[in-house]
Amino acid sequence: MKRLALWILALGFALTLPAAWPQEIKLGSLNDLTGPTSDVGKDVALGIREAVQYVNDTGGINGKRLRLYLYDYGYRVPEAITTYKRFRDFDKVVGVLGWGTGDTEALSPTVSKDRIPYLSHSFAARLTDPKTAPYNFVYGTDYSSNARAAMTAWFDEVWMKDARFRDARAKGEKPRVVMFYHFAVPYASAPIKALKEHAALLGFEVGPDQNVTLTALDARSQVLAVKDFRPNLVWHGNTTMSVAAAIKDANALGLGADHIVNNWGYDENLVRLAGPAAEGVMGIAVTAFYGESAPLMDKVVEYAKKINPGVPQEVRMIRTVQGWAQVLMMAEAMRRADKAGKLTGPGLREAFETFRDWTPGLGVPPITLTATDHRPSPVVPVYRVRGGKFERVKNVDLRARWPAQWQRQWMGY
Amino acid sequence: MTFRPSGVYHQTYAASHAWWQSNFVRAKMALLVVFVATLPLYASLYVVSVANIVLYTMLSALGVQLLTGYCGQITLGHAAFIAVGAYVTAMGVLFWGLPYLVAAILGCLVAGLWSVVFGLPSARIKGFYQIMTTMAAQFITVDFIITHYVSRVGGREHYFSLPPGTITIGGWPVDSEIKVYYLAAALTFLCFVALANLLRTKVGRAWIAIRDNDIAAEAMGVNVVAYKLLAFFAAGVLAGVAGAVWIPSLLFVSPEHFQLSWSLWIVGVILIGGVGSLHGVAFGAIFVTVILELLKLAVIPLAEFYPALTERFLYVKEAAFGLAIVLFLLYEPKGLAYRWQQLKNYFNLWPFAY
Repeated sequence: MKRLALWILALGFALTLPAAWPQEIKLGSLNDLTGPTSDVGKDVALGIREAVQYVNDTGGINGKRLRLYLYDYGYRVPEAITTYKRFRDFDKVVGVLGWGTGDTEALSPTVSKDRIPYLSHSFAARLTDPKTAPYNFVYGTDYSSNARAAMTAWFDEVWMKDARFRDARAKGEKPRVVMFYHFAVPYASAPIKALKEHAALLGFEVGPDQNVTLTALDARSQVLAVKDFRPNLVWHGNTTMSVAAAIKDANALGLGADHIVNNWGYDENLVRLAGPAAEGVMGIAVTAFYGESAPLMDKVVEYAKKINPGVPQEVRMIRTVQGWAQVLMMAEAMRRADKAGKLTGPGLREAFETFRDWTPGLGVPPITLTATDHRPSPVVPVYRVRGGKFERVKNVDLRARWPAQWQRQWMGY
Repeated sequence: MTFRPSGVYHQTYAASHAWWQSNFVRAKMALLVVFVATLPLYASLYVVSVANIVLYTMLSALGVQLLTGYCGQITLGHAAFIAVGAYVTAMGVLFWGLPYLVAAILGCLVAGLWSVVFGLPSARIKGFYQIMTTMAAQFITVDFIITHYVSRVGGREHYFSLPPGTITIGGWPVDSEIKVYYLAAALTFLCFVALANLLRTKVGRAWIAIRDNDIAAEAMGVNVVAYKLLAFFAAGVLAGVAGAVWIPSLLFVSPEHFQLSWSLWIVGVILIGGVGSLHGVAFGAIFVTVILELLKLAVIPLAEFYPALTERFLYVKEAAFGLAIVLFLLYEPKGLAYRWQQLKNYFNLWPFAY
């Protein structure tokens, strides 16, 4: 009993020890470590903590220590709200790193009112329009741009070039596309409107949408439902597990279509789960894959080994790198705001809006943000699985190709 | 049962039916009202927002308590009716230009009627089969109708976002946590009083008779189907109130807020709080919300020194909720409300043990 009391006393002292750093800058982070999106959320959280350590090891925010408050909300919106408000009123953070569509969109009006910048892993295009979400920022290209880019890349690189489609092209046939996604999940359905428009733009014939849930273990009925349509291309708008199941079933039932996948369904696990069926699958990655050669990747691997030695290297994924990209972008904005002497919510927002072709490395396309446009980049890297590895097919520059639409029509959805 | 202190006698029926029968109880309730009314004066905004979630959880669980705890109709789809209330309120304000309160009342009525639709199968089925039909309410309403059709109204994808300042009550904008808190507290109080009184009437007794034995209730002349549907209607209205409270607190509504997990969560609330008790709703809602906040209080500062706490230990949190329900079912099947009753009796009888 006495020993226990001593321990508690010692712990109490440890907590009150003054920090060695002159000043601290507080950063909140809402993560899903236990909820329905925790399969990718855990890896992101590890990456965030490692990246914060890296920021502090390399001088912090202009000599000030970055202090991270990371908490799991289990993808429950009420808990996201109380946790955000704890960050705001109790921990008094300057900015928040957010997670999914559930918390990000729900808190969007609140962060605008509180004027706290919110940098999220949800890339719903709505969040990139400063008119509706002035304090929301994303570090990767939005879902709608991703969908457009993936479709464009397949059209250019496969439909127009591949020998399989020579006859079809000669006969003037239109490529046929179907979309597999969980209708009820905002992440999955967010880019569908944009994708259908884009299909019309490129001259695709669109088949009936198929509802595949995020937790689906098989998608046979959906594959059979579109078999008569004989699609050339399937868009997968879900997360990895469900996408892998759908691709495997499409392969097993001989659908004979190619696949393109949105970024949260495209990672190292897809290859592990779908095996040979994943060969040739194209998809979007907003950063380089874990261990891929890119500036700063050596640090990512080094910190992963140093800080979380208990987590095997084989299970670390692109999601770690995404956590890094998010933290580095926030840290850069904080440095700029701090230099301008305005390390407050509005000051941080202005700092974000001074980004011009800035990139943290890690394969992130150059990010430009302005007061009227929070879309980070018109350039979307598209990858393909080749021999169980990811290789970059091309960078699709949507603005260069469709300047008028990019500027006006494609904003905010 | 509750014991009255020695010396408190009643000479009229009205007095013996009164809610608060002694000055001590009246003082206690007055203290509660004062506490609730003055909370924002000394508590931080964070505490107020936790209180808002507690009140929202109470309102959400109240309808489940009515259906499951008082009428014996198990429901696993209650979030659907909260969603209907929230969406009708939001649409009323956003598209039809109705004042917030009018839209909220409309939302409650629509939620009530929608609940009756899914209550209809209860005329023929009960038990496990009813669990299936109420879950159907969840999927049909939220995942199908709201996601596919309602959310698309007005060209919005999946969400309704209300511009700030659109929620007003008589020209008084509800735009801060504190105002939402008072609104939620007032509505929660009203709903508790209304339901508590309803349960003492003919209707409430009929519900309890159906819960205890529906065949016996029918033999006594209770119109089982009509009263079951009435229970579904009342529970739907209460869910509508919860939905209406949700709107000003976020100014945002999306189908993701009303998933099956929330339906299960509020059933957990009444299991922990106590099935068949209004106190249970309050205790359960406070318990499940505050426990999570206390965990945050412990884990966030410690994570600075032991980062593994957030990344590994927090799994315990999810397990703990399930474990809490199992332990309550095993050792305290009547929930926290029963423990509270025991505590009161202990002090009422003190220093005698009988």
